[in-house]
Amino acid sequence: MTNISGPIGPNEGCAYYPCHHPGQDCTLCFCPFYPCRDERLGRDVEARNGGLVWSCEDCLWIHRPDVAAAARAHLVGADRPAPSELQQLREAIMAKHPPQASSLMVLGATSGAGKTLLVAALCRILSDLGLRVAPFKSQNMSLNSTVTSRGEEISRAQALQALAARTEAEARMNPVLLKPKKDDVSQVVVLGKPYRDMDVPTYYGEFACGEGPSIVAEAFDHLRRRFDAVVIEGAGSPAEINIADVDLANMMTAEITDSPCILVVNIEWGGAFAYAYGTLMLLPPEQRARFKGIIINNLHGDATCLRPGIEELERLTGVPVLGVLPHVEHALPDEDSQDLASRERGGTVVAVLRLPHISNFTDFDALELEPGISVAYVDDPSGVARADAIIIPGTKNTVADLRWLRERGLADAIRRRRGEVPILGVCGGYQMLGREIADPLGLEGDEPCTWEGLGLLRTATRFDAYDKRTVQVEGVLASGGGAVRGYEIHMGGTVSEEAPLFLLRDDEGVRAEGACDAENMVMGTYVHGLFDLPSFRQHFLSLAKVTERPEGPTDYAGAVEESIAKLAEVVRANIDLAALLDIMGVRQ
Amino acid sequence: MVLGATSGAGKTTIAALLCRHFAFQGRKVAPFKAQNLSLNSFVTASGEEMGISQAYQAWACGAEPHWTMNPILLKPRSEGSMQVVLRGRPLADAGPGRPVDRQAVLAAVREAYAAVAASSEVVILEGAGGAAEINLAERDIANMATAEMADAPVLLVGDIDRGGVFAGLYGTWSLLPPRHRARVRAFLINRFRGDASILGPGIRKLEELTGVPCVGVLPMSRVRLPAEDSLDLGRDRGQVAGGGDMRECWMAALDEVYQMSRAHLDYELVEHIVDGRR
Repeated sequence: MTNISGPIGPNEGCAYYPCHHPGQDCTLCFCPFYPCRDERLGRDVEARNGGLVWSCEDCLWIHRPDVAAAARAHLVGADRPAPSELQQLREAIMAKHPPQASSLMVLGATSGAGKTLLVAALCRILSDLGLRVAPFKSQNMSLNSTVTSRGEEISRAQALQALAARTEAEARMNPVLLKPKKDDVSQVVVLGKPYRDMDVPTYYGEFACGEGPSIVAEAFDHLRRRFDAVVIEGAGSPAEINIADVDLANMMTAEITDSPCILVVNIEWGGAFAYAYGTLMLLPPEQRARFKGIIINNLHGDATCLRPGIEELERLTGVPVLGVLPHVEHALPDEDSQDLASRERGGTVVAVLRLPHISNFTDFDALELEPGISVAYVDDPSGVARADAIIIPGTKNTVADLRWLRERGLADAIRRRRGEVPILGVCGGYQMLGREIADPLGLEGDEPCTWEGLGLLRTATRFDAYDKRTVQVEGVLASGGGAVRGYEIHMGGTVSEEAPLFLLRDDEGVRAEGACDAENMVMGTYVHGLFDLPSFRQHFLSLAKVTERPEGPTDYAGAVEESIAKLAEVVRANIDLAALLDIMGVRQ
Repeated sequence: MVLGATSGAGKTTIAALLCRHFAFQGRKVAPFKAQNLSLNSFVTASGEEMGISQAYQAWACGAEPHWTMNPILLKPRSEGSMQVVLRGRPLADAGPGRPVDRQAVLAAVREAYAAVAASSEVVILEGAGGAAEINLAERDIANMATAEMADAPVLLVGDIDRGGVFAGLYGTWSLLPPRHRARVRAFLINRFRGDASILGPGIRKLEELTGVPCVGVLPMSRVRLPAEDSLDLGRDRGQVAGGGDMRECWMAALDEVYQMSRAHLDYELVEHIVDGRR
């Protein structure tokens, strides 16, 4: 087998790449086990000459990096093994790297039960055990999205879970993303690309019971054939009995993926036993039978007082409680805007306008890493008047939210602070800061129109096509020095007569991005995540009346990693991990 | 009596709406919450401390707040320890190893309720936290123990904004012992966003399973009321117009919600439940 030169990973120079999927490992371009005749990996197809030929065009197994490395280790330098030896070798590798991943689905008794972080913690725990792990959420409703390295848009929650799993995020991990736009209408993003806008009846009546399930099944199947374990997250509660038959995200996904389920319930609000019992008992028996465990989450205080309740719950449902997790402080981004109001904590106040369609407010989590900084979500002029710095965040609906700013007197309040405090617009907020927003096709509003912006920047925005720019970017502050990294997600484009805010590098070279009126401290950009690295964060806060500067820059990615490790440790220490692995069918 | 499937289900607002409703009918109404866990308190004209939520409900009744409306106030001080305010006066700090005399507490609740009931035509009671904490059932004071003392019918409130409301209501009802379950005379679904017709099949199934009617689905409203606990910081607390008297702002906001609620709640059924007892 002298043709195995070395582990080469994805061979992007190959004319046939990617013959299976982007990111595939090409070390074993031709499978040494062909024809394996393993029905799990391939099938007989009719050959051109009429006979049967073994086809493995759908097999991803040999292109997994772990499998390729294991096979190479045995084959390199060796003489060509006999077919029976090859067969044995394949069986041995397959025992260690099964062609089909184990899976587990985590469902919540409510929204905010802690599913997202529990899935992240489980991804990390399984990864620590040496498994290759992928997260999966069939359908996520969130305005906090991010962009993968391939330019696909997915929910930030799944990207975080991928980080916890130590694997690269991809659109298949969140094949359907719903971004609420206005009353009952969401933009449906399928496999990372905007698909179309749907209202609630259309989504449930056509998509969720039409093409939705097969999109979910195909995405999951791809992951299942490339990883050792897939940890699946549900959405909201599985016992919404008014939509049970079209609830793609919960039991329908459990059935499509044939996964065992665990139920997580947040005890912080009280009623945890009632919600756990009610959730299980409202499911039809065959769905209830999928539940192999319950996890009680977010306990403040001592778990021993729960004992009688836990025993009663186990007796009534027949489902064991696998653990009680304590409340954990962490630096991980939130998914839902429900958590916004709790952020104000005193000190130098960065006021973020709480737009009705606020998006990507996780951008501002990083600001709170700086000592003495608090982020306040404001929706009245007095909040703007008191602020030490003002940010107009991203929005799913620039035009409606601009109208809202005017109606509430916020537009004038912001203008009055020009020159006093830094004013930053991000994405939709950037569009609002300019002179005008033109929508000749009626894409953003309901009909073609041009709106006057806040006029704080000499910029103009146009919505020309139902198309969205989703790209990761890197560069530096245009004012000199300091790296910035982030991503853009927006419809519409903006032309500027101002100096740029950032200089970004991409395939075509260096380009100017954003706008900056340095004299009046007004800035705008499309770059989300712009505060994640310390340079721009500290530059921006230095313009605010920040009295104390931190000793050294805080590393946001480091803080996230630390939080994931901490959460995984807490989960490991407080649940019956052996039972959980047993439920998943993971061999230790 | 208004009980919740969880903390923060909207009991305080719903009870205040019912107070307002009966007060507008010209009846003499008073609020009552046996035990309140809160750091936000109010001081009455006679200098007694009580939970601010019951003061708010008293204003909704057009009444002057009085300690008998909230005879026990628990004020968390630190991990595991809280100050017990009994009959409007600090009694002691309770915590591990320093239990409160349950009989003394229950006596205060009975005494206070008797005083409130004697001077009112209608008393709107409010429970605390989730109504079916099966690990604490024996130590319950504020929920079914009070409902039994007052022989009150129960309205069970669930918050749909968090999801799982049918499971929460069904689970709460199911986990109650039969004699308590029989007190639950209606459900109420609170904080709904969107078109309520989508809930129809779910509500019908819940009614079918329990035999208990749903009095209505109350839409999400940004009603500003005094926050009871830090969990309220995590939710949209609405806004008030600047300037003016805060109490007037609270009542103006409540009236706005009350007017809105008339289209969504079956007040006739509520009246029937309240009066049917007599």
